[in-house]
Amino acid sequence: MPKGADLTNSLRRAKVGMVIPLAHRGKSLLMQRNSRSSRIVAGAFALPLIGALLASCSSTGTTESSAQSQTPVTGGTMVYASGDAEPSCLDPHVGGNYPQALVASQFLESLFTKDSEGKIIPWLAEKTEVSKDGLTRTITLRDGIKFTDGTKLTAEAIKKNIEHLKDPNTASSTGYLAVGKVVKVEATDELTATLKLSTPDNALLESLSMPWTAIESPKALERDQATNCTAPVGTGPFKVKSWEHQKAVNLVRNDDYVAPVADENRSSTTSYLDGITWRFIPEAATRYAALQSGEVDVIDNAQPDTIASATDTGLGHLDAPRPGSTNRIELNSSNAPFDDQKVREAFIRAVDVNTGVNSLFFGTAKRSYSLLSSVEPLGYSDEALFGTDTAKANALLDEAGWSERDAQGYRTKNGKRLSLRFPVSTNQSVPAEQSLFEQFQAQAKAVGFEVKIDLLDLSSWYGALAKHEYNLVSAPYTKVGPSVLRVLYHSDSTVPAPSGYFANNAQVKNKKLDQLLVQAEETEDDAQRASLYEQAQKIVLEGYYVLPLYDQQNHFLYGKNVHGIGATTAVSSPIYFDTFLDQ
Amino acid sequence: MNTIAWVGRKVGGALVVLWLVASAIFIAIRLIPGDPAEAIMGGPGSQASAQALAAARAEYALDQPIITQYFLYLGKLLTFDFGTSYSLKQPVTQVMGEVLPNTLWLSLMALLIAWLLALCFSALAMRAGRIGTFVGNLLEIIAAAVPHFWLGAVLIMLFSSALGWLPAVDNGTGRGLVLPILTLALPLAGFLTQLMRDSLTEAMSSQFALAARARGESRLKLFWRHGLRHAALPALSLTGWAFSSLLSGAVVVEAIFARPGLGRSLLSAVLARDIPMVTGIALFSALVYIVVMAISEGIERMINPAGDPR
Repeated sequence: MPKGADLTNSLRRAKVGMVIPLAHRGKSLLMQRNSRSSRIVAGAFALPLIGALLASCSSTGTTESSAQSQTPVTGGTMVYASGDAEPSCLDPHVGGNYPQALVASQFLESLFTKDSEGKIIPWLAEKTEVSKDGLTRTITLRDGIKFTDGTKLTAEAIKKNIEHLKDPNTASSTGYLAVGKVVKVEATDELTATLKLSTPDNALLESLSMPWTAIESPKALERDQATNCTAPVGTGPFKVKSWEHQKAVNLVRNDDYVAPVADENRSSTTSYLDGITWRFIPEAATRYAALQSGEVDVIDNAQPDTIASATDTGLGHLDAPRPGSTNRIELNSSNAPFDDQKVREAFIRAVDVNTGVNSLFFGTAKRSYSLLSSVEPLGYSDEALFGTDTAKANALLDEAGWSERDAQGYRTKNGKRLSLRFPVSTNQSVPAEQSLFEQFQAQAKAVGFEVKIDLLDLSSWYGALAKHEYNLVSAPYTKVGPSVLRVLYHSDSTVPAPSGYFANNAQVKNKKLDQLLVQAEETEDDAQRASLYEQAQKIVLEGYYVLPLYDQQNHFLYGKNVHGIGATTAVSSPIYFDTFLDQ
Repeated sequence: MNTIAWVGRKVGGALVVLWLVASAIFIAIRLIPGDPAEAIMGGPGSQASAQALAAARAEYALDQPIITQYFLYLGKLLTFDFGTSYSLKQPVTQVMGEVLPNTLWLSLMALLIAWLLALCFSALAMRAGRIGTFVGNLLEIIAAAVPHFWLGAVLIMLFSSALGWLPAVDNGTGRGLVLPILTLALPLAGFLTQLMRDSLTEAMSSQFALAARARGESRLKLFWRHGLRHAALPALSLTGWAFSSLLSGAVVVEAIFARPGLGRSLLSAVLARDIPMVTGIALFSALVYIVVMAISEGIERMINPAGDPR
């Protein structure tokens, strides 16, 4: 889902890779991606961390921390401070945004996850098979796993959960889309579920790796929604003890936790922490002050300047870019002036992204030249398309007929000024990103573009998009896997949902691209899938519909007393199963 | 005017004001662009189907003619039914009830501290020389002028980040209350001091003060027995206003210090376009304002029965 989908908050985060690889939990991490739902806040940018834990994983999450390997100690309650708005429901099936994923990753688990190479691997599931025609998928669950209400994990749970996601009364956005092609689920036997699909979907396992499709106790799902929202019941290392609204969600250790994939090197089968106090501290400066003074142990939504100063003072840093799309500016090709590719390229050539990113993000964000996050193995990148070249920009605009200039120096054509509307969501764009856009505004002016930046709250921002009152927009999307490309660039995504929302903000309508995206999602062949997605990405990049900036930033800072941070889910939301505190 | 008539007038006036406020809120909310059904179904960007949106409209009577909606709304208000929060799906009164004590406690403590500070500074100002008066004046003006968000951030940087004396967020020990209270109290104290000092200066140089001094009363006694009474009157009549300014300050302070409360609920309700929640909190604030104003007028009547507070 779109990032901002939930209103109230959203932030975005990137993810870290999660994966705890089966074999070495605790050591690796993974990465993943997802996209749709999250909103993103722009989080941060990344620096890598390096912890002992992550050392082996390359991709997504990186941690740097002073504490290297240490013997884990059991006990203590970790205080987590989130900069996101408090979710209105802790069940990520409902709505489905990143703040929900962050907290739910502690108490809910998914059928699949990602390993350190970004490969999808079974988690609660033990194995899975798909029929020749791609329309029937069987999922076999691991035996011996229980929800924290004592219910056993069975195939019936898969059925109940997918039905819950598809039920309009649940009001699921992200999870609903993820299981959109599942028509029916049957529990074939106690541990085997059979999913009937409307069309082949090679992204289904990626979809089922996201916290928005996590498996909850079927018994708990029978409670009314308001109750389930307060304390969803899962199989994770922690469980929800209580939720004091506006204050904290209190999580406690699940003493009966059975890791779906055990780590033989681990001294304990349950979490080291007694619990987590999950607080919401919206103000970035307060959150960081609380971390510095030791009132809280971990903060999210760390901002670039803070990250730089934190790492100087020995605080730990986890950089976990989210999967799915990059943060990028989309150029609305459905109306003038961006219905002309020359004008789109002129804008992209006119701005100097790298200098701005380097200075405003203090080295915490790495420039991207791709539609997809760096944690997506199938992402295609082409730096040559995006070099700054103002001479070329001017020439292109002259060619496109924008050759006159008005008194203010802006270009005109037939008496109309070359003017661009750029609504910016203050929810989704962090201050550093807003400053970057202001730099673009000044640079574009030099070649004759007038860019009107409008800072908006999330609802107004969505309203502006729904009414097509934009030429430029930054709207990151979190989803695991390259199928996010279909969400973002297939012509079907230009058709608004009843709420007015559409995901194809660049308004790309290209038959060939549509075909590639559909085929890529249905093929059985991995090599063909990769090739189809590469062709699709080239069409979008070479058509200058998008200006890639950097990964969706997702940075966490933690105190010197905190160890064992690094494992994440497929959407890069950290899991604190391995985390321990100095006693 | 006798007391009973005075109370009757106050109550009648209050009802009219509440009705006007309720109507203004109703109209203002209809002028906001966007579909409330969307807010109910998870906000913009949601994938809610047309049927789900229609169902939400029917459930919240949003499909009725506007005039019907207005009377339904007024009818519910008469029974103190503010409806169900769109985002939290809980009755608004329940949500408000949970967080209200936090905000009241914060505001009352801030009011108390502001009064104490104002009294101390006014008393000190009596003894100050020219330079002292100048410095005092300057400090008052600065205190009265600083915005809450700036003051809060500075206090956190100073006492929490740099000195490490006080927590930036409340950890349940009560020490976490110090900075939020100061953030709210300092600007108000600056304002009250300005008011009190002016009237105090006037009172202390008046004929009765001179007469009392001539009788041999000490300056201190004079201050407590006569000066204060005169000085407190204008400040007191502004306390109703001050209290409601604390409620609005609480929106900022609760966000900065991550405290649960009415202000924070209001902020998230506005961002989520949670109409029943916004309406409930706005009406409640109006009610508080009216009640506090009436109380401060009542106290004024008691202190100064001669004056005619209308």
